[in-house]
Amino acid sequence: MEDALLKIKEVSKHFGGVYAVNGVSLEVHRGGICGLVGPNGSGKSTLFGTILGLHKPDQGEIYFQNEFINHLAPHTIYERGMVNAFQIPRLFYSMTVMDNMLVAARGQKGDRLFNSLFLRKNWQMQEKGLIEEALDILELIELEPWAFTPASELSGGQRKLLELGRGLMARPTLLLLDEPAAGINPVLGKKLFQKLKALSADGMAIFVVEHRLEILFEFASWVYVMDKGRIALAGKPQDIIDNPNFYAIYLGEE
Amino acid sequence: MDPLLYVLDLVVFIGIFGIVSLSLNLEFGFAGLANFGKVAFFLIGAYTYALLSQVGVPFYLCLIASAVVSAIFGLLISLPALRLRADYLAIAILAFGEILRLIVKSEDWLAGGDWGITVAPAISVAGASHRVDALINIGLVYFCLLIFFFIIQLLANSPYGRAMRAIREDELAAEVMGKSRTKFKAQALMIGSAMAGVAGALYVQYQYSVLPGMFMPMITFTVWIMVLLGGPGNNWGVLLGATLVEVFERGTNIAKDYIDLPVDPSNLQYILFGALIIFVLLYRPQGILKESKIRSKVQRLAFNGRRSAKNKGS
Repeated sequence: MEDALLKIKEVSKHFGGVYAVNGVSLEVHRGGICGLVGPNGSGKSTLFGTILGLHKPDQGEIYFQNEFINHLAPHTIYERGMVNAFQIPRLFYSMTVMDNMLVAARGQKGDRLFNSLFLRKNWQMQEKGLIEEALDILELIELEPWAFTPASELSGGQRKLLELGRGLMARPTLLLLDEPAAGINPVLGKKLFQKLKALSADGMAIFVVEHRLEILFEFASWVYVMDKGRIALAGKPQDIIDNPNFYAIYLGEE
Repeated sequence: MDPLLYVLDLVVFIGIFGIVSLSLNLEFGFAGLANFGKVAFFLIGAYTYALLSQVGVPFYLCLIASAVVSAIFGLLISLPALRLRADYLAIAILAFGEILRLIVKSEDWLAGGDWGITVAPAISVAGASHRVDALINIGLVYFCLLIFFFIIQLLANSPYGRAMRAIREDELAAEVMGKSRTKFKAQALMIGSAMAGVAGALYVQYQYSVLPGMFMPMITFTVWIMVLLGGPGNNWGVLLGATLVEVFERGTNIAKDYIDLPVDPSNLQYILFGALIIFVLLYRPQGILKESKIRSKVQRLAFNGRRSAKNKGS
């Protein structure tokens, strides 16, 4: 089996005396959707933040494409191909939907001071391609008609979609999604997961937190269950569903 | 008093403060940095110019040196300051400006202390009248203004400016989208400081002298009023703001000689400024002109091209 794309070894993160993440080890591989579920407050979002470089882990090691990334700043990790979509959308609200998309593109020539002034032809060429790409993604998430409206005018669900669209715009190697289907109508939610599945088959790895288990278990190829900062269970979706402990953890059933 | 000269003088001032407000627009309007120490870099540029021109360096080299030295100070202050939250950053830079002013005020050996030093004009024509002098300055100031305006416009409409606006909107989100906030903010402070430095140099060579009293914190606040009034994030807006504030300042200066008031007329100006800024922030927080959209001709062309292609297909 090839090396894991993302490998986490014994990572802990505590805030004050509370361990939000406590000795978590897991692996995410290419070519599939990997799910992370668990009750609220079990440390899923903190784990994501730690992977992204927003919080430095107190202990443990994080490897991305076999590179040790504990010490890297979030923006460098992003350029390596690890991309995140927040649970609560953090859009640039005064900017248009299109500009929100374009900010997210990786490896832009024109976002360097020198290039933006003196190599204008160079980045303008690239920009044309990026705009096409952005329109394709917007079509997929059904936001194309709003391409040139300010992001602040979008509805709650549309904001959520744009957050996902920005993630896709970066052409990630690993896409971290925090509850992408929350607040989105069921039909579109399912369609999104179908699309994500197709993308993952093309080689993009997707690591997703999702509370809508019926959708997640249909599409995920591997699921981790977190509880109280630890990985409680791991396995194929069917095995997790069949595991009686899962219901105890997730639904609090004794 | 020569009325025409008065108007020409006003035009020079609008140009100089136009440059400063453009620089604050880059820092605050686009990058979201609350630079409350604008006057510090204005001062650095001014003193650099004055000291260099005193030892006989040609004026264009002095101007360039003013820009470079101010930019270096901008970078230096950004190193500790950018670790601070926006409001603390504002206080830190404000204090920096005051400290600089007090240093040049008390260190007599440096540039004459409180009394300042005289500065030779950049371009002097033998026997020229004051009017011609003012016209030469208008040429010089507006030449610099034009260059800076052009640069800022290019930056604002490029992916670079887009990244800056993204950082202004949500630092953390921009950071996890590959935009290094430290880099962008430090660069914004550097460019902004260089521009303010040039403006300071132009100012003192026009005034023929440099003294600490020219760099009171009020300069910073005046520039802030220009930007907030005209419209942060809009380069035309801040130039409009600079014009309006300068005209307002001159207007009240003249008017106070003709009106009898129960308060000290020069204080009244500050009171009016304060009232104006509260009024703007309450009723038109985006300023007179709204933030300019990123010029998206390419974007629209791509979109329309796609539309028409689809219509043909169906």
